[in-house]
Amino acid sequence: MKFLKPFFVVLLVMIPISAFAEKAKTIEELAAMYDSSRCKECHAEIYARWENSHHARSLMGVQDGLMMTPLAMKGRTPFSPDDPGKATLDTFPCFKCHLPQALVSADDAFAVDYANALLAQDKTRVSKLRITCIVCHNTKAIIHKLSEGQPEADVLYGSKDVASHDDEFFKKIKKGSIMDHAIMCGQCHGLGPNLEFENPVQCATLYGSYEHNYISKGGMQSCQECHMQKVDGFADHLIAPNWNDLDGTKKILQDTISMDVQTVGMDWLLKSKDLKPLVVVNTKINQNAGHRIPDG
Amino acid sequence: MTAKTADGKEVYNTERHYHTQATDCRTNKMLYGAQVKTQYIRDTALQPFETKDESFEIFLPAGVRTVDVTVSLRYEINKPANFIEIAKVTRKVSLD
Repeated sequence: MKFLKPFFVVLLVMIPISAFAEKAKTIEELAAMYDSSRCKECHAEIYARWENSHHARSLMGVQDGLMMTPLAMKGRTPFSPDDPGKATLDTFPCFKCHLPQALVSADDAFAVDYANALLAQDKTRVSKLRITCIVCHNTKAIIHKLSEGQPEADVLYGSKDVASHDDEFFKKIKKGSIMDHAIMCGQCHGLGPNLEFENPVQCATLYGSYEHNYISKGGMQSCQECHMQKVDGFADHLIAPNWNDLDGTKKILQDTISMDVQTVGMDWLLKSKDLKPLVVVNTKINQNAGHRIPDG
Repeated sequence: MTAKTADGKEVYNTERHYHTQATDCRTNKMLYGAQVKTQYIRDTALQPFETKDESFEIFLPAGVRTVDVTVSLRYEINKPANFIEIAKVTRKVSLD
């Protein structure tokens, strides 16, 4: 059997999602089903930018904090199981956005494996789970499912039609209706409380802010126009900010947020013969983003 | 924001915090963490197309006529000690 081990590993990596009748039961199985590493053979620039993005470490939190750990800890959240062995997909409402492929391609055994990995703070294993190319360009690419159907298993969705795509499994590219619309991002960078869960959760509300406090004031740019501007001719899949790059993030914040400070010193005559030494500092802070800051 | 005398003594220190504030709607305790938050109850974040105006009045102690005012605009990441300084302005302000 020993000689067969490499064969199994290669086989797992190369099999497309559609070929899996079984649901993933481990971190490695789910990671392999959505592995996009072969995309870099032709899309090296885009892939390299994505690899540094938060989408490439969607379960690692800001600065690698494994933010879902409390969900696996007894008593820490309403979702937490008494024992990690009792974890289910429902234990992790965050999968809705941080690992949407788990909801369509994994079962409760995966949730147990993930819960144990969190409790062990196993960043090496957890970091294998990512919002890969396949997640955005297939799994989450269609929202009008009654009109357009489910994402097709052998199709990637992009900004234009490509009749033939040189890939073993995803053989063509179709223009996705929402790929260049803010709602593509808004599926996860959300509206507000997620009330579909047994206990509501509230994570990112960026899209709600965009809809109700940017568009409403005359803003007209999409998320992609600011966060996916072309770099070397390609849409920037870093989708900044990258909070692990403090210098790069500082530059973005400085380009986005400005502060004016005015000062004056005076003796304030509050009442007769009672001068009070006073310094007044006036500040004005402006920002030019299409959403509140901070949000996510 | 701080105001200090020429010999470094701090005579004023204050902060403003710009962010959403949420609870789980079961108590009035503010919570962090998406898995426990339910609803914003206050939003002081920086909003698009809006200016956040503040005016600070610093009454100086007796004998102090000049201070160095420092205003630091920071983006905190998870905890106060972990931040990116977006802007820092220092001004010497004198009453004479």
